[in-house]
Amino acid sequence: MHMIVAENLVKVFPAPDGGSTRAVDGLSFRVGSGQIYGLLGPNGAGKTTTLRMLSGLMTPTSGRAVLAGHDVVDDPQAVKRMIGFLTADTGLYQRLPPRELLTFFAALHGLSGSDARRRVDHLIDWLEMGDFAELRCGGLSTGQRQRTSIARALVADPPILILDEPTLGLDVLSNRVILDFIVREREEGKTVLLSTHYLHEAEVMCDHVGLLHNGALVAEGTVPELLAATGEAHLNEAFLKVVGESETVLPAPEDTAERPPAGQSDVVPPSSRDR
Amino acid sequence: MISRRRVSTVYVKELVDILRDRRTLAAMVVVPLVLYPLLMVGSVQALSAASPDVSRKPIVIGVDMQDVHWLEKLVIDDRLSRRGGALKPGRTSPSHEVGADSDAEHDTQADDEPEIFHRIVPQDEMAQAVRDRTIHVGVVRKEHDPVADRWVIDIFSDPEEVRSRSAAEWVRGLLGRLADRTVEWRVRQVGLPIEALNPIVIEEHRVSTPGSILSHILPLILVLMTITGAIYPAIDLTAGERERGTLETLMVCPVPVIDIIVGKFLVVATVAIVGAALNLASVSATVYFGGFEQALGSGEPTGGFPFGVLPIILVLLIPFAILFSAILIAVCSYARTFKEAQNYITPVILATLVPGGIAALPTSELQGVLTVMPVANMVLLTRELLLGSPVALGTVTWVLGSTTLYAAAAVAVAAHVFGAESVVFADSGSLKASFTRRTIKPAALPSAAMTILVVAILLPVWFFVQVNIPSGDPGSFIRTLRLSALAMPLCFIVVPLVVVVYWKIDVAVTFRLAVPSGRHVLAGVLLGLALWVPAAELSVLQSRLVGIPQTLRQADEALVAALQTTPWWQVVFCLGVVPGLCEEVCFRGFLLSGLGGAVRKWTAIIATACVFAVFHLHFFKLPMTAGLGIVLGYLCWQSRSIWPGVIAHVAHNSVSIVITAIPAVAARLGIDMTEPTAHLPAQIVVPGILLVVIGLALAGRQRDG
Repeated sequence: MHMIVAENLVKVFPAPDGGSTRAVDGLSFRVGSGQIYGLLGPNGAGKTTTLRMLSGLMTPTSGRAVLAGHDVVDDPQAVKRMIGFLTADTGLYQRLPPRELLTFFAALHGLSGSDARRRVDHLIDWLEMGDFAELRCGGLSTGQRQRTSIARALVADPPILILDEPTLGLDVLSNRVILDFIVREREEGKTVLLSTHYLHEAEVMCDHVGLLHNGALVAEGTVPELLAATGEAHLNEAFLKVVGESETVLPAPEDTAERPPAGQSDVVPPSSRDR
Repeated sequence: MISRRRVSTVYVKELVDILRDRRTLAAMVVVPLVLYPLLMVGSVQALSAASPDVSRKPIVIGVDMQDVHWLEKLVIDDRLSRRGGALKPGRTSPSHEVGADSDAEHDTQADDEPEIFHRIVPQDEMAQAVRDRTIHVGVVRKEHDPVADRWVIDIFSDPEEVRSRSAAEWVRGLLGRLADRTVEWRVRQVGLPIEALNPIVIEEHRVSTPGSILSHILPLILVLMTITGAIYPAIDLTAGERERGTLETLMVCPVPVIDIIVGKFLVVATVAIVGAALNLASVSATVYFGGFEQALGSGEPTGGFPFGVLPIILVLLIPFAILFSAILIAVCSYARTFKEAQNYITPVILATLVPGGIAALPTSELQGVLTVMPVANMVLLTRELLLGSPVALGTVTWVLGSTTLYAAAAVAVAAHVFGAESVVFADSGSLKASFTRRTIKPAALPSAAMTILVVAILLPVWFFVQVNIPSGDPGSFIRTLRLSALAMPLCFIVVPLVVVVYWKIDVAVTFRLAVPSGRHVLAGVLLGLALWVPAAELSVLQSRLVGIPQTLRQADEALVAALQTTPWWQVVFCLGVVPGLCEEVCFRGFLLSGLGGAVRKWTAIIATACVFAVFHLHFFKLPMTAGLGIVLGYLCWQSRSIWPGVIAHVAHNSVSIVITAIPAVAARLGIDMTEPTAHLPAQIVVPGILLVVIGLALAGRQRDG
């Protein structure tokens, strides 16, 4: 069963000069239940915009996205009930301690008083936040803030986690906390969609990856598939190779819908995979 | 649908969050409790230092050599006469300089009078001497008319200089008293009593209302106090949230934006109310304990600070705070950063001060379009209550009703904007781009925010149109009706239509132009023919309870008079057909469509009916029009079409006009039109109510689709 389905998603932003920018250009992919899917690409590739459309924060200009059976345009509230969203910026209320913050978000997700308390206590215990649960978020270290953000994303125990650059700017220890958390969530049966431009992390963690460039998927598959198709040893080199090919071989972004299969490798182009 | 639980969750969290911010506490508590008293005491001290009591300061009078003795004699005579000494003009006085250190001078000078010195200045240098400030005032006896025995005396002074102005005033008083004494002496010489000079004695009794001066400025001060308290939380909870990066995590929660924005708005309103109450308490305490009571009051013995009206002011702070909090939340919701929000707020405050300033003018009264002008109406109502003037309940209703509508519009706009992509995410383009028609996506229905905002703008416009359509004598009544019938489509059809077309909203769906079922058409006909019966009975009930207002009687009389001079169909067209169509398009078409997507069925119908009633601008008819609005809203909702409501509305208005204005019709139906408290005959009431029940039953089944 596919927990996340994106079909030909397009997002066009109006440009200040009166023109427009296609931030996401005909993107299609599917994520199965209990999988970790990594959207990989450099800054400006369209990863964040894609995740925002999938979480109901942005309306697609065209195309369709369905999460756990709910369409993001037709029923964004139902989609939001299914997801835990973690942004690159931890986005915590500086004047609230983690316990109050988690209780607030639990209430917004519809948990009653006692359920919310139980869930918050569990998360504080599980993520070892006891030492700082009563301190204001403004005074927490980066690692403590990151744990609080993870707890916030998990407060409603959602089946899908959408993580936007979860390890951006973290030190080694905080990074480890996040990676452990992601793997543990998969073991719990959660579906995880994450974006990152740290390709080596994706290599060890993701079941499937999609390589995003200029708003479109240029390659998709499991890590071994991608490495085999490109003949490279690491995802970094594979990405550079695929991007190089896409810029020389593949047609311009506006012709994406008509893009032919890549053909020359096992890496199945996303457009043909979805059809 | 708005959830009280979610709103309360947001409210509690935001209140705790904002109260933990030292800047909020400073703006809300420290400023009123410390800064205002200090400012008040400081400014009074500064004022008294800058404007010393110059009337007792020594005066140096410039005088020509030949007039020195005349002036000395004049001053001493004046002092003696004011102490009750009998003086005759021409009496000689000791020859010494005025102000010289002599016993005679000290004998005549009273404690509360200034010391007078003279300086000899040639006549032609007098003006320059004043300019050089070597003298405060110059006095020159210019010429004497021997026939009338009259002197022409020049006074040189600099009105821009306080000491010179005060000295000139003193000299004028001195010469005035000399003139009085001379006249008195001359009158006595011819044997007349002095009272003969005053054939009319005016005794003035100035009755000062406590705080009458204060009442003009206090409402405006209240406006500023309320805004001051609300600004920081409004920015912090909207643009601040966006700037700190917490907005995205909040928006990804499964909570409608309206719940979030209402919770935030209530926090801003709470802080504004508490802040303004603290401000008021602080000002009152400073006035009371600082001894400024008379200074701030009317200045009359009965004046002073109106402590008794403080509870009323506190109550009025609530709608003030609600309106401003809503406006500020709406404005700040457009901003992405703190700085941007501050830039947006400045013109809002200036725009607020304009109606506030108009209302603060002594000539402004709480009537006409000012009754529904935002801010101005609240300022004027506060002033009237402070003055203890009687304010009609209807007027209070318009003020509070229109203020509530404006506040609701502002909150709706805030909810519309707060979660907008272009505000949440900088890369979604500028807000300007989201208003550009090219980038607007077609929609089936308008948002609640859009419809409430349009209707809120239409209210003062419609009020203004109604007030300014000339009316008066019976001959002009039909002209008034024609103008009103012309204005109505412009306001109620053209304006919503332009908005709907510009925003690429489906016109047919929004205005519910679908062809109705026969069942609902029949319901509309029956309700239109019979609704006047319960309306008339409701009117009878009201008349018995509160009496029928004179204005309504006059309107009915004018209607009867108009029908006698005008073809009946013209009156029916202007008062029945045009309003029936236009009001249905605007209220049941436009407004109900917008509200229907945001709130529950009955909330939308009742809210629309209340707004519909407010637009009729007649307090007595409020329950009747609201009731009619509910029935028409229900009919429209059930039929999914505007047309049964149009039929019912036109028929209802027309039938009511014919019965009211044509005595023969009323007589044939057995209705006593001369007695507004008389019930309708049973043979009318029973079938009338029956038809209404059948009509509602027919409307009860909702049309599919």
